[in-house]
Amino acid sequence: MHRRKEVFARARSRSSGSLALRTSLLLASLVLAAVGPFTSRAAGVPADSRSASHWSFQPVVRPPIPTPTFTSTGGSSDHVNPIDAFVSSKLSELHLTLSPEADRSALIRRLYWVMLGVPPEPAEVEAFQRDDRPRAFERWVDKVLDDPRYGERWARHWLDVVRFAESNGFETNRERPNAWRYRDYIIAAFNRDLPFDRFIREQIAGDALGSDVATGFLVAGPVDIVGSPDPVLTAQQRADQLDDMVATTGTAFLGLTLGCARCHDHKFDPVSQTEYYALSAVFAGVRHGERAEPLPQEREARIRELDEKIRVAEAGLTRFTAPPPVALRSATPRPPVNARENTESFAPVEARFIRFTIRASTGGEPCLDELEVWSGDRNVALASLGTRPLASGTLSGYDIHKLEHINDGRKGNTRSWISNEDGHGWVQLEFARPERIERIVWGRDHDGNFADRLATDYVIEAALEPGHWQVVASSNDRQPVASSGKPTGPVYDFNRFPEPEAQEGRRWLAELEGLRKERQQAAQAPMVYSGTFSQPGPTHRFHRGDAMQPREEVPPATLALFQPEQWSPELPEQERRRKLADWIASPGNPLTARVIVNRLWQHQFGVGLVETPNDFGRNGARPTHPELLDWLAAELVRPLSTDGTTETVAGAWSIKHLQRLILTSATWRQSSAPRPDALRVDGNSRLLWRFPPRRLEAEAIRDGILAVSGTLDTTAGGPSFFLHDVDRENVYHYHPKEEFGPAESRRMVYAFKVRMEQDGIFGSFDCPDGSLVAPRRSVSTTPLQALNLFNSRFMLQQSQAFSARLQREAGDDLSAQLQLAWQRTYNRAATSDELREAIAFARAEGVPALCRALLNSNEFLFIP
Amino acid sequence: MRSGVPSLSGPLSNRRRFLSDAGLGLGAIALTQLLSRQGLLAATVSGKDPLRPAIAPGQPYAPRTTHFAPRATNVLVIFCSGACSQLDTFDYKPELIRRHGQAMPGREKLITFQGEQGALTRSPWEFRPRGQSGKMISDLVPHIGALADDLCFIHSMKGKTNTHGPGENYMSTGNTLDGFPSLGSWATYALGSEDQSLPAYVAIPDPRGKPQNSVNNWAPGFLPAAFQGTEFNATHPIRNLARPEALSNATDQATRHFLQQLNERHASQYPGDSQLAARIASYELAARMQLTVPEVADLSTEPEHILRLYGADESGTKIKDLRAAFARNCILARRLVEKGVRFVQVFNGAYQTGGEGVSNWDGHKDLLGQYSVHGPVLDKPTAGLLIDLKQRGLLETTLVVWCTEFGRMPTFQKGSQGRDHNPDGFTCWLAGAGVKAGFSHGATDEFGYKSVEDVVTVHDLHATILHLLGLDHERLTYYHNGIERRLTDVDGDVVKPILKSV
Repeated sequence: MHRRKEVFARARSRSSGSLALRTSLLLASLVLAAVGPFTSRAAGVPADSRSASHWSFQPVVRPPIPTPTFTSTGGSSDHVNPIDAFVSSKLSELHLTLSPEADRSALIRRLYWVMLGVPPEPAEVEAFQRDDRPRAFERWVDKVLDDPRYGERWARHWLDVVRFAESNGFETNRERPNAWRYRDYIIAAFNRDLPFDRFIREQIAGDALGSDVATGFLVAGPVDIVGSPDPVLTAQQRADQLDDMVATTGTAFLGLTLGCARCHDHKFDPVSQTEYYALSAVFAGVRHGERAEPLPQEREARIRELDEKIRVAEAGLTRFTAPPPVALRSATPRPPVNARENTESFAPVEARFIRFTIRASTGGEPCLDELEVWSGDRNVALASLGTRPLASGTLSGYDIHKLEHINDGRKGNTRSWISNEDGHGWVQLEFARPERIERIVWGRDHDGNFADRLATDYVIEAALEPGHWQVVASSNDRQPVASSGKPTGPVYDFNRFPEPEAQEGRRWLAELEGLRKERQQAAQAPMVYSGTFSQPGPTHRFHRGDAMQPREEVPPATLALFQPEQWSPELPEQERRRKLADWIASPGNPLTARVIVNRLWQHQFGVGLVETPNDFGRNGARPTHPELLDWLAAELVRPLSTDGTTETVAGAWSIKHLQRLILTSATWRQSSAPRPDALRVDGNSRLLWRFPPRRLEAEAIRDGILAVSGTLDTTAGGPSFFLHDVDRENVYHYHPKEEFGPAESRRMVYAFKVRMEQDGIFGSFDCPDGSLVAPRRSVSTTPLQALNLFNSRFMLQQSQAFSARLQREAGDDLSAQLQLAWQRTYNRAATSDELREAIAFARAEGVPALCRALLNSNEFLFIP
Repeated sequence: MRSGVPSLSGPLSNRRRFLSDAGLGLGAIALTQLLSRQGLLAATVSGKDPLRPAIAPGQPYAPRTTHFAPRATNVLVIFCSGACSQLDTFDYKPELIRRHGQAMPGREKLITFQGEQGALTRSPWEFRPRGQSGKMISDLVPHIGALADDLCFIHSMKGKTNTHGPGENYMSTGNTLDGFPSLGSWATYALGSEDQSLPAYVAIPDPRGKPQNSVNNWAPGFLPAAFQGTEFNATHPIRNLARPEALSNATDQATRHFLQQLNERHASQYPGDSQLAARIASYELAARMQLTVPEVADLSTEPEHILRLYGADESGTKIKDLRAAFARNCILARRLVEKGVRFVQVFNGAYQTGGEGVSNWDGHKDLLGQYSVHGPVLDKPTAGLLIDLKQRGLLETTLVVWCTEFGRMPTFQKGSQGRDHNPDGFTCWLAGAGVKAGFSHGATDEFGYKSVEDVVTVHDLHATILHLLGLDHERLTYYHNGIERRLTDVDGDVVKPILKSV
């Protein structure tokens, strides 16, 4: 990275004023090479060429870097960060310049607040102030980007964009106890700098990419779960859910307000109503709900190991089975079927096909979790050996019940097949080649959790050629099933055997039970609120957006504005999402990179280059620095190689790379002090003649207070803690807590995010509740905020904790305590005037009162 | 009143001065011109230009100008949560009485929210002519009925959803989804408030708890948090309003003063910074609220005849106790309006202490039993409030709106003694500033099922309320997430026939 910047320095030193031209020629050729395949617009562009020519729909072309017209005031001026070149060139048009670099204590404080959401420790401030290594600040930037608190801070921004919360919203507002895994996924994604294109793909189609938790994105929004037999209401609710997915995908990744095309063609952007419903078709198979996360590989391996041990143990116990085992069967019927596992042994037969036909079950559509066909010691049914399953039908809508689970070698309800007919259904297996088979093992739920849906009347046939079936086993010679409904296993009778043998049998049985228990635990998959998927029926356009007025069928497709793709209505559900994700995350998509780069900029400076982060369409704001935005977007997708000559795929889509570029710019490092001349021209500092100071958000205020008082619990990840007391009735009621202890002292990103009901203290600081996406928080100032921060018990407690900490760390000397108080709250030394006043005040009213004032003060709550 | 907040007036005036003459205001204007020259500002919505109010960060509640001459300066909403039946209160249907016990013609197979319908069922309460106008109103609400000549009924309301959550959202925010700003938030965003020592917008939950969609009914949505409804009632004060008990008044005041010093010193490094000034001002407003809110919420000064008028004087039975508690909320509402609070929302009915009609108007199972409680609890206090506002002359400038999330079916539910949800026809009424008195607008069909004549949507109602406040609902906008948002989304027409001629 550092080397990358040196390139610019070298380029500048080589040229004598024609840097812009040289760079532009260089980059133009690069751009052609890198973006070539995507620059031509495919057929099918929207008819309205006026809106199609809108700036944000044009391919990103890396613009030349303007010739710097300023003297860098940054600490290391041997090179020019392109950001500074763009910003100061714009400023110079208004005869303005960048401000000098902020002093070190302000800079480190800003770096920590912005990047980590908590202030630095006094020792860190001191270390930075004394750090005289070259590129000292760059080193601190690297340190901060490697800090795990970085993910906690930046995940919060993304969670706003994707309207994440952990309750359903609307009147029932029930909890989603396993939604937090998505929050942890986001934190981890930022921390490990998951390439942004991958981040997109995982959130839309993570189930296809081994990242199941990530699709929590699709269902992070509110859902009205109030069910009704009224078909109108049901259709409206479903349409609202799909709208939420389409609209959020549009704003989050593309900066397009697709929701505007629900009832009619988009008024401003080239998005037709049909395109809206084509996207709706992409998500039509997604429903709200939890699903089991796939087990980690080592757990799968352990389960296979256990299965083998269980098989051996069961085989050893076979002779104890009562009534006598299969080998001895004659007139005596076999034991009844059991839900866990059943064995069918027969004289070896040559077969290419077997068919398991179910004619009755213990209730509901029958379920098989695994069908094993043994030839000696080989289970020839396994899909991994090329065996293909076929079935009469499969219950739709459940990810855990699929046909391919029947012979995937994984047992248990979460990896099972369920027929789509009540009490009936068949499964057929076709082996890769004819096999000599002698034993079939099957179960309903090997984990022993379920005993419903158990096949009770069945026949198993084998065939070498299709159509030439011969029965090899059936339920005809079994005892009828006792209808206890509880999972059963084979019954063993040890008493028929001599004592030493019986003892051995009992020991094996005990071992078997231990193994089964362990297997059951191992197979317990964590649940996550990341949606369920099933093949949807056709999608129709709704006239005027009215779910009761379906019109023509619309197949799934991308938007037409860039390389349009349209797919068959038969396209499998997961494929639809995967393909859409690929289209969005394509390096040539003109919107994706611009939109995320702008979000990063926004959270680093307070406002984005485009003021409307979720609307890059014609109704949105234009960028203040269009060339800079494009340069950054190009740099995200194809960063320049370390020698600066080529765009590369190495390090592509790295969020941290972009952030490092921004943080190390002189633009970001400049002082926030106001300058009357500049204020007159640009009162909002939009053109960045200074770093715009701003108030912290709700979460940073709370985290910061806990950090300063020394009560912050830094435990990362896991289930959320509650800032509310919850009445869990039919409808959930959340009452903001008034008393707080260690259980409420983790960072606020880990607080259970309730829709509607805000935290009683910090909710009033413009904290969005996840009902709608919140790409940019409003910053309002209200008397309720003042009351909460000044009067709440929480603040009183924190003031006392802070005061106790000061005494603990600085001893009994009041002056030392107060100096430390300044260091902790403001990251600077108190001036002598301040110290004198503070001592007088603390002597009269006590240190806790002083702490209360400090934690309420503007200097504490503003990023300098 | 100010005397309790010592020594703050000096710095305040200084700050006001620097707010007004610092380069800030000018700078913002200059940049706006610059940006618009460069085409950087968002395009306007087609048709009318948006009128976004200019809000000084330090004074979000400063009174602001209307779009045109207002008819009302304050709004008081009485919201019956749970969906109050039009057929048992204000919508008289002789045909329903005649056909009592028969299936609703042509709707035999109708499936509504909870399922199948039984027979058409007349109200258990008699309807009688009331006032000079002879308006037919039921015995469930006789006190309100007696004021028929002051009320302006809209009998042809039409909603959009038949579930409570989305229904309450729709009535309170103009959108069925969660997350949109409430009517009161829009009104105070546009107009600020007349009084700077009280919240601009107060939501008064029912004594039994919050309504079905809870705080969404007074949420600011995407508007700045300054415009959220401040929640309190006659029994529950504003959260964190009072100084912490553990602290003496002297310490509290000294701390306030010390904080002020810290903030002043810090602000001197950022001359003209409106956000810093706003936070300083917010502590002053909070200190004033700390004094004025308990004062306005203290009903002990209300004379006996006023308590009697509202029904706040009687207790001893379940109904009387509930009625007295609701009556105290109504008195509080009047006191707030009297002080100039811009927007007051009083809720009748709660979900927290019993849904399905127990604590609210959701009479699915036992209409007679449940409404026999809810009717009296609502009736006298509401009538008392209207009479009191009128006798104080406040009805001249205050618009009173009585509403509910949707209506109920003229049939009883199959196998039940109550009515199911019905968004297709229901009644709201208005009274006071700018609306006709003793007037009825629109009608439902012969059974009171669907609005058929002069249908009024919820957006129409909202457009009318904003109109009476002097606001053009098509121009009052706020930019959020790519859209110049309005309370009335993309439609809404002012219901002109109900407006009193000037």
